[in-house]
Amino acid sequence: MQDPYELSECTIKKIKPETKDTNTYTLAFLNNSSISEDEFKPGRFILLSIFGFGEAAFSLSSLIQNGAFETTIRKVGNFTQKLHSCKKGDKLYMRGPYGEGWPLDEAKGKDVLLIAGGIGLAPLKPVIMHIAKNRSKYGKLEILYGARAPSDMIFTSEFENWRKIPNSILSLTVDAVPKGVKWSYKVGVVPILFDDMETTPDDAIVMTCGPEIMMRFVVKGLTAKGFSEDQIYVSLERRMKCGIAQCGHCQIGKKYVCKDGPVFAYSEIKGLPDLTI
Amino acid sequence: MIAKVYKESDIATFFNKLLEEYNIIAPKKKKQLYEFNEVNDFGEVALDYSTTILPPKKYLIPQKETLLRFTKNEIVSEEPQFKKKQVIFGIHACDLNAFLLLDKVFMDKFPCPRYVKRRRNLITIALTCNNPSETCFCESMGTGPTPSKGYDLLLTKINEEYLIESGSETGEKLVKLAKGKEASPKDFEGKKKVVELTKQKFKRRIDVRNLPDLIQKNLNHELWRLLGEVDLACGQCVLSCPTCYCFDVRDELNLSLDGGTRYKEWDACFLLEFAEVALGGNFRRDRAARVRQFMGHNLGWGGASQYNVFNGELKCVGCGRCIKTCPVGIDITEVAAVIKGEKNVSQVTALKNILANIGEKNARSI
Repeated sequence: MQDPYELSECTIKKIKPETKDTNTYTLAFLNNSSISEDEFKPGRFILLSIFGFGEAAFSLSSLIQNGAFETTIRKVGNFTQKLHSCKKGDKLYMRGPYGEGWPLDEAKGKDVLLIAGGIGLAPLKPVIMHIAKNRSKYGKLEILYGARAPSDMIFTSEFENWRKIPNSILSLTVDAVPKGVKWSYKVGVVPILFDDMETTPDDAIVMTCGPEIMMRFVVKGLTAKGFSEDQIYVSLERRMKCGIAQCGHCQIGKKYVCKDGPVFAYSEIKGLPDLTI
Repeated sequence: MIAKVYKESDIATFFNKLLEEYNIIAPKKKKQLYEFNEVNDFGEVALDYSTTILPPKKYLIPQKETLLRFTKNEIVSEEPQFKKKQVIFGIHACDLNAFLLLDKVFMDKFPCPRYVKRRRNLITIALTCNNPSETCFCESMGTGPTPSKGYDLLLTKINEEYLIESGSETGEKLVKLAKGKEASPKDFEGKKKVVELTKQKFKRRIDVRNLPDLIQKNLNHELWRLLGEVDLACGQCVLSCPTCYCFDVRDELNLSLDGGTRYKEWDACFLLEFAEVALGGNFRRDRAARVRQFMGHNLGWGGASQYNVFNGELKCVGCGRCIKTCPVGIDITEVAAVIKGEKNVSQVTALKNILANIGEKNARSI
């Protein structure tokens, strides 16, 4: 019987700073045989371990490529603080991937609208990569991305590549622009981008990730524009101790974020307790 | 199924034969109360017990257990080791049904090797309850006073005799350990009467019909807010619940910092930190939300609903321990009654207490 708490060893192949407190880590398994593309479906998450600091859940921020994958992590607590002191070549331990990812099959043949706030762009990046790789299978790709300030935006070096994806749009906004910083896009919270949005409710799928309060206004704005609640998919955050729907920490009513999510159709979670969306 | 009738004195013989081969856990008297503990003599066993202080879940999920040990070079997964098989003797239907629920959580989809090992090492000898306590309500939950499944052996005291029924192959082997005559239809009639008599003793009940739906529809009921004012968030209800299985996973380093253990330990949704996320976020910061989560999980969103194996069965087995242990008198059966519309909030004991102490006007504005 396999122990669900068994860990796989991986090494840090690369560390790329994204913002002052956020890095993208490229990780590779020491045992290559355990990697499959299907397992690394966009939207799923892994549990990373640093002994003495425990485990924490992180989403995958790339498709698996040459046996390696990425995860983009912001320094917010003890575990991530410790992780940010790790160097290239250091060994980490992981379990997973776990959970249900984005509805990429359902989105086939449809327009795809991605709406991200802050580090919420991380779990959506593999969706962008997947669509770019399978371009003919999807309709228009529209990405709306907002952050607190220009310096808080992640993956900025990818923006030009994303704009080159045929039939795609990338719109940006920030909550505020500090004095002396050049910014030629919108200013305001993410729903401000809805004004010039091209995607319409006909035959589109929306995937959104960001702070719950942001997603609340995203859902509100989109439903006002005629998007239905089962067209909108959200990715939720909860702390998890097991990843296999046993520890109870990520329970929201009948749903377990680790097993039933983290990606849910809004219609599936609407009205559950302890949700602010 | 094999069914026999033992005289009371034969139960002691049977027990002593079991002792030769197994470790036995049984209800023992502790001052005026009862507890499950290891027993080395039948004289220590209190088969006339009502509910024990704590449930026997610790024999399947210890309060704290090591998952793995780590050093700089090695990770070793840890599993429990047993020299002997373990028997739980005299377990009531509520606690046995709780075991069946825990089985679904820890054995169905992602079996936990530690749990599976403990479970497979455990023989269950159940006992039809004839002495429900003031706070018991298993009858209305459909989980007692006698179990319908999940036991190796089932004992029912009928007058001065015990009806012994086997529920598994293990049970069939065990039943032969003592002398006894073949049970007759009259004995089963006797059991029926005992069960009927016990059912009449229950003082509390819950009407479970539509309860999950009603909980879902009443997430903003003022009851939650008011209970949140009274509740102490001590978590005793969770720790004394036979089906509460939530846990935390933590690391402990050696003093030399070159290795340590990763362990899991009981956790409680009533505690503030339980639903904490990054940057100080907390999805159940309010006590009202935590009361609702405990009650909701027990009466609303089901037992092992995470794997759709419970088919609408509730997580609560009606043992009444959470009522007994609550320092402010929160009563799950009253919560159900309010949600069902059978009682109004001012009739809830925990609220009545506070209203009596400081007056309704002040209580409402806490």
